[in-house]
Amino acid sequence: MGRTWSSMDDFEAFLNDGGMVEVDDDMPDEYRTAVFRFIELHANSELMGGLTERDWIPMTPGLRHKMAVLAKSQDEIGHGHLLYMVAADLGVKTRREMLEDLFAGRSRFHNVFHYKVRTWGDQVAICLLVDGAAVPSQKAVYKDCSYGPYKRILKRILAEEGFHLRLGEERVLRIAEGTDAQRAMFQQSIDDWWWPALRLFGPDSKPNDRLARWRLKSEKNEVMRAGWVQKFVPMLHSYGFTIPDPGLTHDAQTDTWTCGPIDWEPLKRTMAMDGPDTARRIAEASAAWETTRWVRDALDAAPAGAVA
Amino acid sequence: MTSMTPGTAEFLLAFADDEHLMGQQHTEWIGVAPFLEEDMAFASIAQDELSHAALLYAIVADNGQGSPPDDRAIDALAFDRSAADYRSAQIVEVACTGWAHALVRHWLYDTAEELRWSLVEDSGLEPLKDAAAHAAREERFHVRHADGLIDVLLQAPDSADRLADAVRDLLPLATGLFDPAPGEAEAIEAGIASAPFDTVLPEWTDRVRARFPDIDIGTISAPAFASRTQRHGDFPALLARMNRVRGLDPTAVW
Repeated sequence: MGRTWSSMDDFEAFLNDGGMVEVDDDMPDEYRTAVFRFIELHANSELMGGLTERDWIPMTPGLRHKMAVLAKSQDEIGHGHLLYMVAADLGVKTRREMLEDLFAGRSRFHNVFHYKVRTWGDQVAICLLVDGAAVPSQKAVYKDCSYGPYKRILKRILAEEGFHLRLGEERVLRIAEGTDAQRAMFQQSIDDWWWPALRLFGPDSKPNDRLARWRLKSEKNEVMRAGWVQKFVPMLHSYGFTIPDPGLTHDAQTDTWTCGPIDWEPLKRTMAMDGPDTARRIAEASAAWETTRWVRDALDAAPAGAVA
Repeated sequence: MTSMTPGTAEFLLAFADDEHLMGQQHTEWIGVAPFLEEDMAFASIAQDELSHAALLYAIVADNGQGSPPDDRAIDALAFDRSAADYRSAQIVEVACTGWAHALVRHWLYDTAEELRWSLVEDSGLEPLKDAAAHAAREERFHVRHADGLIDVLLQAPDSADRLADAVRDLLPLATGLFDPAPGEAEAIEAGIASAPFDTVLPEWTDRVRARFPDIDIGTISAPAFASRTQRHGDFPALLARMNRVRGLDPTAVW
């Protein structure tokens, strides 16, 4: 057993001084549970992100292009794999329990993965807009994260997510310079994915947010969201695409873009596991899990040391 | 520098088509494998197979000169030929709907490919010789991956039965890999390959029997029909799926 703290005040003083919590520390149950839920949500989202994109991988246009999206998908599922291990070490649930909760619809994943990828343009929009939202969100967690194992894993994840974002930017550039059919497809994808990606940051942060106090978050949601809008509005405008936000404003003096009023109802529905594609997504994942149960059962039944 | 002829190009296209379609088939298993490590393994192996295909198509596209062509030339060979012009074996064209079949195909295919690459490791065609050195190393890892799982799955009655069914279903198609590719004799004559692929069929057969000792697989022989010029019934759907986005706009660069 690592360190112990006599009270929550004592523990929070340790965090305020920049302390880093490790897995063998006797951390307060509230902190352990909060860290676990945070990482489980992240792990679930990485995995569901991989599943959201997988439907279109076999249709990727081009051999080398397909290799690149395969590498991305391998990374995303790999992130889930690492995060499930970090979460499992906290002793709240095993990896299998987390996966079975996910496939039974009992645990959550990020809002954007409750939507269906309907076209190749959607696949590219995810790579740009969703990864473009994930990177600043994860950077904000990594920056001052108080839980050591999570911070160390995030360093690797962020390096790989940076590659994904560049892949997205490169793909969008090809479409932007492409044919009318390509551009029309991608404009529709922007129209469909702009708001879900923007809502990924969540509503404005509350004062005295416990997760901020415990250094699991180091940036307010509204600040990250504003940065995302500021990055992608000029980029997409420069390619000749439009933003589906009639309330979008531009301050010419500061060259700042600000989004219009945000409808939070779609986010609430995804949090209630009632998004546009939630039921199908979970049903398919669950069916795949069940049809391959015989493999896991055989491995479980194997004598110790039998698995190479 | 060994020069290419239409026949040797056909020989290499058959090789490339097998690697391409095997990689393509593996992409269907990402995210729906039995556990996360297998999702990642299939993603990784699929990348390897597609990269082998790209190396082989590139040799054909630049006529064996060793100056890499651009991706469009490679993709034109990989995607834009008519079904009748593909030279793939039916084992990589058939749709495997269950994990046991996907795993057994992976083992049968990679065991054969390990032997196949050895036949061009001293090729007089330098880019092919380089590709063989790269690919053979990866094929060994692929076989080791499949072996690790099969070792365990053969120990439990239920999973052993599932694998046995898959072996019996797929073996007739897998032997089609050894069906002489058009241009093979020409490629051997030109020093591009050292021997016909079917000369290693006995060694492959020995490996199959050693791998699945309790499965009665009868006599293994090369198919009696010209399998590489006849497409499997699943091929049209496979080709349509591969070309779904490319077909949206033939002039587009994605």
